Amino acid sequence: MKKAKGSKPKKLFEQKEETDIMTGETPDIQNQVTEEMPAELASILDLEVGETGNRIEFEEGEKVPVPEKLSFKPLVHKDPWQQAFVDENTILIKRTVRSGQSIQFDGNVVVLGDVNPGSEIVASGNIIVMGALRGVVHAGATGNEEATVSAFKLQPTQLRIANHITRAPDGDYLSPDHPETARIKDGIVVIEVYQLGQDRQTKIC
Amino acid sequence: MGEVIVITSGKGGVGKTTATANIGTALAALGHKVVMVDTDIGLRNLDVVLGLENRIVYDIVDVTHGNCRLKQALIKDKRFEGLHLLPAAQTKDKTAVNPDQMRELCSELAKEFDYVIIDCPAGIEQGFKNAIAGAERAIVVTTPEVSAVRDADRIIGLLESAELRDPKLIVNRIRPLMVKKGDMMSMDDIIDILAVNVLGIVPEDEMIVVTTNKGEPAVLDNNSMAGQAYRNMARRITGEEIPLMDLEADIGFMNKLKKLIGFK
Repeated sequence: MKKAKGSKPKKLFEQKEETDIMTGETPDIQNQVTEEMPAELASILDLEVGETGNRIEFEEGEKVPVPEKLSFKPLVHKDPWQQAFVDENTILIKRTVRSGQSIQFDGNVVVLGDVNPGSEIVASGNIIVMGALRGVVHAGATGNEEATVSAFKLQPTQLRIANHITRAPDGDYLSPDHPETARIKDGIVVIEVYQLGQDRQTKIC
Repeated sequence: MGEVIVITSGKGGVGKTTATANIGTALAALGHKVVMVDTDIGLRNLDVVLGLENRIVYDIVDVTHGNCRLKQALIKDKRFEGLHLLPAAQTKDKTAVNPDQMRELCSELAKEFDYVIIDCPAGIEQGFKNAIAGAERAIVVTTPEVSAVRDADRIIGLLESAELRDPKLIVNRIRPLMVKKGDMMSMDDIIDILAVNVLGIVPEDEMIVVTTNKGEPAVLDNNSMAGQAYRNMARRITGEEIPLMDLEADIGFMNKLKKLIGFK
């Protein structure tokens, strides 16, 4: 653990110091965090972090200044999993997409809600539905065959990836109770159990 | 050259889409080449009733805007060889198509098919005008309710001013027992007001709900009374003379049956 060089500990936020019940020592986590905090984050938050580590006091009721725009540079370049997401746009839709509604986006689409029958989502990237997917979806609409469609309940009216079109077989069938992912494998659309970090192990590395 | 028939009603929920699906299927079952056109853009249902929703790639708007060829948008039915559907768009609205485009589309379809059956949206606005633009004949659906009959009368007037003479009437969801008791408008009452020829009468039938939800038209079910009524209508459209169903006789028969098995 690094120790602050200055006489006073460097602090961004005022916080009561708590004593560890077990050891009776005051934890030094605050110092550690601020020491390793990137300079750019501090500049974004518009805080003055002095060389000597002056403690910045906030008066009661005063709010921490919030930046209008975040300008993080991508921090991780070495990890290919992180790299894969650096240049692609993603939108978050925090509602249920209903019949007749159409979402078209150049990038990834994440829906926090259901996608009902009669609606459509067209994305040039991946589509992820944190809910039941029952409408028409088209991932990789600009021809990206690597695009995938994932949903907690994957029951689309029609599922398209790049130039492939599939639909559920006629008649009744049991729908599984776990999240699933649809992707193109060997030229056909396959649906598999959604696995955490699957891409990381098989595709990118 | 095929016949272009529009099925309309004015009021919503009286059974236009159900009638379209059933008459279309019945005509195809008789061996005719049939295409059903859903003009209810933005609130399409015909594809769901027919169980063909998951086959839609292109729709009527794509055809009229030239995004695809007409042949590409037509969906072949999974049960009958000669049955096709031209679905409506769901993410657009009624203004996406205009009457001139519909006229052209209908004449194009009439070259290929024996019957072009158009499912009209409720209301008398743009959607209605589009639906009737290319039609040569009209079928008006109503239920034995004052409001539905009032709207049917308005529609018949509008059809006449659009040069669609002599529309045929379908009276849907009749309950013979209620009519007998005088609680429901009878066929005579309805014809008295509307003064048009009757194409068919459909008794209230729970099977319609079941078959509609399953995506299979009732005409495929031989035990369904409504299915029988629609099969008769299809044959009347082709020019056969078939007497109207005698619903009163049915009451008698059903009662006899119930007595026989000890229900009454």
